[in-house]
Amino acid sequence: MKYRVLLVGLSLVIAIVALFVGIRSASAQTTLTDEQRSLIRTNCISIKNTINQLKVSDALLRVNRGQVYESMRSKLMDRFNARLASKDLDNRGVVVVTGSYNSALDDFRTHYVDYERQLTATIRIDCTQDPDSFHASILQAREKRAIVNQDVTRLHQLIDDYRNAAADFRLNFERVSGGGAS
Amino acid sequence: MDDNTSQAHRGELTSFWQKHRFFLLVSAAIVAALSLVTISLVIYNLSGSAQLDLSRPGYQAVSDQVTRNDSIDEYSASGDVTLTTIDEFLRLYDEQATKAKAVDAFNGDPLNPELLEFSSAASE
Repeated sequence: MKYRVLLVGLSLVIAIVALFVGIRSASAQTTLTDEQRSLIRTNCISIKNTINQLKVSDALLRVNRGQVYESMRSKLMDRFNARLASKDLDNRGVVVVTGSYNSALDDFRTHYVDYERQLTATIRIDCTQDPDSFHASILQAREKRAIVNQDVTRLHQLIDDYRNAAADFRLNFERVSGGGAS
Repeated sequence: MDDNTSQAHRGELTSFWQKHRFFLLVSAAIVAALSLVTISLVIYNLSGSAQLDLSRPGYQAVSDQVTRNDSIDEYSASGDVTLTTIDEFLRLYDEQATKAKAVDAFNGDPLNPELLEFSSAASE
């Protein structure tokens, strides 16, 4: 019993220390020097203009890339899967990859919306009055943009995975049917 | 006496509604329209459609650069499955996959504070 109380107490102390260190490191990331604050205040308008241009060009990129990824799924993957299913062929390999691709596409959409909202929130902050919040918001937007890029990389990986699954299906099909029609 | 007073009051109220019924109808229509517009805008913003709408103010400059035709050839969902049709799919898929992977979207680090906020270019 005494041992258990000691263990719980130790866990609590570790949790509190971890929380404290986490808060310290988070605040250290967003701490600005006076010189940096002054630079942000001076360049406030030009920084906001740059962010605004990035927001517009990224919106165009999102629409165009989103269309391509969506079409890959609806015009190729779904149709090939349906064709195999209509002939009662084992399409589990390609269906599994399509499921992962769908989920990656959903993540891409959701994470882009998060990123766009963060950029909008950043532009709304008065950087002459509150350079610290403005800087922190830019850092958050930067992280969210990196997440969107990871989603894109994942989609590209799944496009390759689907190709491999379709090639595997072809090999099995060739082995089973001897190349004949189904 | 009290009955007479309340009847007179009710009569005044009825005549008030009758006199202003057109005004009330228009007001109710405006309130209903405003409520529906508010609900639509909330849905528009929450659903993420706003982020894809390039007809918003500030986005007109790029709205004509949207790819209207994605030029991806459709593969038929019906038909025989043979080695030839599978090869045809793989050829089509490879073609489109190359196009899809050609752009590493959202790469780079344009929001790096060193470049965006603290560089000499930012102070120009």
